[in-house]
Amino acid sequence: MLRILLIDDTAKKVGRLKAALVQAGFEVIEESGLTIDLPARVETVHPDVVLIDTESPGRDVMEQVVLVSRDRPRPIVMFTDEHDPGVMRQAIQAGVSAYIVEGIQATRLQPILDVAMARFESDQALKAQLQARDQQLAERKRIELAKGLLMKMKDCNEEQAYTLMRRQAMSKQQKLIQVAEQIIAMSDLLG
Amino acid sequence: MTNPIPVTSLAWVNGSDAPEKPSLNLGFMALSDCASVVVAATQGFAQAYGLSLNLQRQSSWAGLRDKLASGELDAAHSLYGLIYALQLGIGGSAATDMAVLMGLNQNGQGINLCAALQRQGVTSPEALERFVHQSRTKLTFAQTFPTGTHAMWLYYWLASQGIHPLLDVNSVVVPPAQMLAHLQAGRIDGFCVGEPWSAGAIEQGQGFTLATSQSIWPDHPEKVLGCTRAFVEQYPNTARALVMAVLAASRFIEQNNENRRSTAQLLSGKAYLNAPLSSIEPRLLGQYQDGLGNQWHDPHALRLHDEGRANVPYLSDGMWFMTQFRRWGLLREDPDYLAVARQVQQLALYRDAATAIGVPCAGPDMRSSPLIDGSHWDGSDPYGYARSFRLHALAEPPATLARR
Repeated sequence: MLRILLIDDTAKKVGRLKAALVQAGFEVIEESGLTIDLPARVETVHPDVVLIDTESPGRDVMEQVVLVSRDRPRPIVMFTDEHDPGVMRQAIQAGVSAYIVEGIQATRLQPILDVAMARFESDQALKAQLQARDQQLAERKRIELAKGLLMKMKDCNEEQAYTLMRRQAMSKQQKLIQVAEQIIAMSDLLG
Repeated sequence: MTNPIPVTSLAWVNGSDAPEKPSLNLGFMALSDCASVVVAATQGFAQAYGLSLNLQRQSSWAGLRDKLASGELDAAHSLYGLIYALQLGIGGSAATDMAVLMGLNQNGQGINLCAALQRQGVTSPEALERFVHQSRTKLTFAQTFPTGTHAMWLYYWLASQGIHPLLDVNSVVVPPAQMLAHLQAGRIDGFCVGEPWSAGAIEQGQGFTLATSQSIWPDHPEKVLGCTRAFVEQYPNTARALVMAVLAASRFIEQNNENRRSTAQLLSGKAYLNAPLSSIEPRLLGQYQDGLGNQWHDPHALRLHDEGRANVPYLSDGMWFMTQFRRWGLLREDPDYLAVARQVQQLALYRDAATAIGVPCAGPDMRSSPLIDGSHWDGSDPYGYARSFRLHALAEPPATLARR
């Protein structure tokens, strides 16, 4: 039976994942909020597999575990070492990163990944962020328009107009396009 | 010359040099030295070159590395050492051919100790050295990534003070955002980290700065704009346009203090560093304090541009990290230092981009730097340099290890 160390240190809930893994016949040890003790826990628990949220800051601590254990009889490697980019992409989509003890075949990981993909709460916010892209090229014309308006209003040159717009945007923690739209709107109002 | 959108840009975009891939995913970690990347992406520096940059904040260096390697990120704000570890296959990822497009900054990291050590009078390197060798308890020092720049600065500095970083103290990895919590809980005694976390520790009275990274190596290399070599080879025009945009942004930030201040305000925002302005702005302006009552204007403060000097991907900068990997046993054999650096450091592409936007970039491919321990690094003898240190962990032959 494979022993899984499940690291629970992000906002995502691993509750259902744990239950599902247990049901699938794995021995699951859950750890939460112990980032700095991770190397010690791995040493004590001797897991065959460590599962951790791909977006966890604790991934960097696992990196230390990987390096420290490379001289031990049972080195822990991230399973992406299995030269299977497909499996890696699958895991990234599932949002879990798995570190396995070398020697365990990738095929034995598959059931774990299947469970993880079905049960791990996906990060909706991240997905929304990915969808909000590819709009910038259309924004260029709006920025140019605003720059032209500002040059007229302030009687300044192109570079000065850009600098004014950028300073305004950065001070308000906004993108340049937002300030450009404000200038255009203001110009419409006053125009 | 400082026109942020060159008159020639339209012709350039419409010509045969147009980016092959117009929309890029750009990773960054929430640290002050990601400034040029964030400003380039949000303040219209990329559109001018026919590019659109989608910023994606990452929560760990390991995650950033995996996404770079898998192509989910096209390029990223990266630790110098992370790119070289990935190139050489050190750590939890298979070796991947990597590229350093440009330097993002020099200086601006810090080695800090906890307030408890301050109360015990351990406020100088000499006092720390005595404490480490006389006290029965082993101190624990944190850094942010096993092959990262912070680990290398910490190791280098400790060793320069006669403290072996792998034998005399415990060395652990702690994510930057968790440093203060671990410090408060008394789980770490010191740490090496980037901004805004050094300034933040001082501000909260949790610790003090014993050494800035620039005191180890004035104008040392730090973060880079990294990507896979496959990306550069497949999309050379895109890579050049990306360098032009980020380089132009770094020049804009350092044009004057007003721009530095607005940059600090932007960075403090929720989507970027999500940290108080007071721990970001002073250091961008070169104002330092160590938490022991000393304040100064640092002549080697965090630099994002420095008229291009902070951005050149010198061969010797890349090679230095490999010599330190070798010194501390992360590399078991000597790589062909120069050959690897020539492949990784994209000097020709950088010079193309810099010339196109009028950033000075003439000069040699290597630079010569004095370091805190009196050594001098100029890239001429990496094999000898890696072996020149009194304190080290040069990997022993397997036979010796087995007998332990």
